[in-house]
Amino acid sequence: MPAQVLTSVVDGLMLGFVYGVAAMGMTLIWGVMRVINLSHGPLIALGMFGTYFLFTGLGLNPYLGLLLIAVVGLVAGFVIYGVAVHRVINAPYLSSLLATFAVSMMIIGVGTAALSTSPFNVDFSLGSVAAGPLTIPGTRLMAAFAAVLVAGLLYLFLYRTKPGKAIRAVSNNRGAAELMGIPSSRVLALSFGIGTMLAGLAGGLIATFFPFTILSGETYQLKSFVIGVLGGLGNPIGALVGGLVLGLLEGIIPAFMPVSWVPVIEFALFVLVLLIRPTGLLGGRA
Amino acid sequence: MAALEVRDITSGYGEVQILWGVSLKLEPGKLTALVGSNGSGKTTMLRTIMGQLRAWQGQVTFQGQDITRLPSYQRASEGLVLVPEGRQLFTDMTVQENLEMGAFAPRPQPQMRRNMERVFALFPRLAERRSQKAGTLSGGEQQMVAVGRGLMAEPRILMIDELSLGLSPRLTLDLFESLRRLKNEGQTILLVEQNVAMAMAVGDYAYVMAEGRVKMEGHARDLLHNEEIRAAYLGV
Repeated sequence: MPAQVLTSVVDGLMLGFVYGVAAMGMTLIWGVMRVINLSHGPLIALGMFGTYFLFTGLGLNPYLGLLLIAVVGLVAGFVIYGVAVHRVINAPYLSSLLATFAVSMMIIGVGTAALSTSPFNVDFSLGSVAAGPLTIPGTRLMAAFAAVLVAGLLYLFLYRTKPGKAIRAVSNNRGAAELMGIPSSRVLALSFGIGTMLAGLAGGLIATFFPFTILSGETYQLKSFVIGVLGGLGNPIGALVGGLVLGLLEGIIPAFMPVSWVPVIEFALFVLVLLIRPTGLLGGRA
Repeated sequence: MAALEVRDITSGYGEVQILWGVSLKLEPGKLTALVGSNGSGKTTMLRTIMGQLRAWQGQVTFQGQDITRLPSYQRASEGLVLVPEGRQLFTDMTVQENLEMGAFAPRPQPQMRRNMERVFALFPRLAERRSQKAGTLSGGEQQMVAVGRGLMAEPRILMIDELSLGLSPRLTLDLFESLRRLKNEGQTILLVEQNVAMAMAVGDYAYVMAEGRVKMEGHARDLLHNEEIRAAYLGV
């Protein structure tokens, strides 16, 4: 029994790192511009297909492929911001919600037509690491490592670099940022670009160990809501911690009760945190 | 040449017109005071000069260039700097980060370290609190950050909206003393202030606004001693 629990805990944590990366982009956009990006899930799915086509089609190592996915994701984010989000950024919440929902439907519609909804699989392995009763696939370890790296880099970017601080300034008080000579529209576009890049990276990592379809991002998008509330908005370290908490729950809960209880408990937690600490367990936003 | 010239500006919010053809001029190196009762259009004037509010008619000329259609962040980059009413700090960022944001534009960026020392010399209390989040400071300290953040931009024109609002008399005196020092260093300043006596005491030139129009202008000293103006507009 202890060995089985240990395995569940480690499995859960490994999954949690991935949830963390998946949520980071969403909570960044949410925190900086108060836009709930409903196209986040489909963008994660596009990241999965990115890895698939680069690896299966071009034979590129998936981790090198991630660099390309990051660049494409950043540019795609600029485009989505410019076309769909910028014009509704000052409108009530519902407008931006609908705008990103429209983007989501377009990606899913075109994706379903072009890629069907039968699962794809990236046939890539890094072997596995065994420690006592545990066996962890190398790809999962790499994903965990990448998650920590991305969270750390994003934190350094937001707190130590000039454009990063400008993002926090615009997030904190957009009007005042303009008075400081900060071009806030460009800063918002940059934030959206980074959020989209993170969605692509998360998808690209997940594809190395889970089969997927164009619809696979939705799960991660839903989890991102819970994680954003747990870890606070716009804080990459918070997203990582929130992801780990969620992963841990998903590892442990099935050891004690039917697996179908997992979402029930997760969203009960979501409501509970909203009621008790609306700014997130880890406090404020960027 | 005037540092800033505003000609026949009309402006307002939505359908509601607030400014009815306001003209004013700032001379370089001088402190110009803009006074008037609540609702006379002073803040609206500043917001229109900054481009936060669109001018319906009229022209804003900054250093000989027409900037009436320029977005506000570009005006700020050029050195037209507003310390807004209510301070509008980046409350979740530290004092030092707030000051760094003041020097965001390319023009003041190279002198950021030197200017920060200058701000700390002007407001020593900020140096002690540099790593503290701006939102946790007292009202007076927040006003110091707001003015300091404005100075970090190396303003060609520093505009301050309600320097003394909500501050104790002691702090108000201190801040006005800092303002006088800035003026003596050659800083061009436009001061909007409810404390008319104080504004006139440090000001060189003054405009009195009422009902969205300039009702009177002249040397601050003359206006302050004009009985008619004192009774009608200044309430002192």
